[in-house]
Amino acid sequence: MKQAIRAIGIAIYVLWLVVIVFTVTAVYSAFQLQVDFSENPRTSTSGGTMTLLFPFSLKNKGFYDISDLNITTVVQESNGALISNSSTVIPLISSGNKVNATHSISITIENMASSSLSRLLFYDTELNIDHSLALKYAGVIPLEISRNSTMQWGAPFYNLTLGKLSIHGSNVMIPINFENHSFFAINGTLTLELFNDSNQRVGIGTTALNVQPSYSYSNSVQVLVSGAPRRIREAHLSFDTSLFSYGPVVFPID
Amino acid sequence: MVQWCFQLIENGSIKSLFRKMLPRVVMAVIKGLLWFVLLYVVPMFIFSSLSGFAPEIFSSYGQLLQVFVAIVLFFVVASELTSGTILQHAFNIGKALILMIFIVIGLQGGIVALDFQGFHVVANLQIYIAMLLTIDLLGLAKNVLQAINFLSEKDESQLPAPSPK
Repeated sequence: MKQAIRAIGIAIYVLWLVVIVFTVTAVYSAFQLQVDFSENPRTSTSGGTMTLLFPFSLKNKGFYDISDLNITTVVQESNGALISNSSTVIPLISSGNKVNATHSISITIENMASSSLSRLLFYDTELNIDHSLALKYAGVIPLEISRNSTMQWGAPFYNLTLGKLSIHGSNVMIPINFENHSFFAINGTLTLELFNDSNQRVGIGTTALNVQPSYSYSNSVQVLVSGAPRRIREAHLSFDTSLFSYGPVVFPID
Repeated sequence: MVQWCFQLIENGSIKSLFRKMLPRVVMAVIKGLLWFVLLYVVPMFIFSSLSGFAPEIFSSYGQLLQVFVAIVLFFVVASELTSGTILQHAFNIGKALILMIFIVIGLQGGIVALDFQGFHVVANLQIYIAMLLTIDLLGLAKNVLQAINFLSEKDESQLPAPSPK
């Protein structure tokens, strides 16, 4: 019996030693992790998708490997509609190694033409951003760090308004105004279709758009109308830009 | 009552009790102080020096540490005061059981969540808890064996000496 008691006592001491050594080295190693975000973020645009690129490097100077590192950024509108869900996965950062990676957040502007997100084209709002970092430390301790933040969203067609029609014979001039509050330039065309009280299209006009961020657009579109201009009841605006296409936006005309 | 006290003094029972208890009390005080320094003073010193880094973490775990130290000190002192009796082993078994429960509750079942500097951190320490519980279970087994050994040795000492044939 005494030998069994002694053996258990030794096992307890050994296990305590393992736990203490593991705890101390794990805490020390965690403080030896170096994260470097010194490189400036970049943006790129292609095929209607805007990508924000955040280059970073991780240097694991600790004793233990870091595995299954997953950086996720979820961007949602204040009403919960999903705008972007981007993840960057690094399978393994071995002890003593350095890993360079880029976390990219892709926002498909084309998606904003969908019904749930179309208000983002016309109204400034606040976007909720959930950042999370999940990893497995030393192969046995899963860890998740998350943070919520908000970002101001500027609408590309903020305060889109049609002015009063000015009729000169068959020619109709329609002033169009909006402010580009977004962080991207609007390059493309604006098409204006006019409909009469019988819901028949009576004229169409097109104009080029080139509005830089933080600039206002104020221009008149000329439309040659067939039939009586007095019977015009609706104007349909459509946008075709390098990033997205959207329309029609219907404006009633008195 | 007064007569009984005088009888005790005359018989030297209080004196013998005092002689018997004094080393235990001294040992209990010494062990209690040592454990207090090891489990409270040293960690609090480390906490206070690290609290500038993340005060939210260390303030929330300071109370937990105080409860842990109180439990350990109570059982260390009680075990020392009752050393040489079955109560010592009973207290040791009680300590192992209560610490197991405390570890599970204190570390929130292994899923530790805390908020600091706007970050929400969730650590899954279930493996760590399993290691601590294994140590405590081994300690429990050791205490039970020691209690059995104590009782069997006590019984053996009361048996009549074998007579030569």
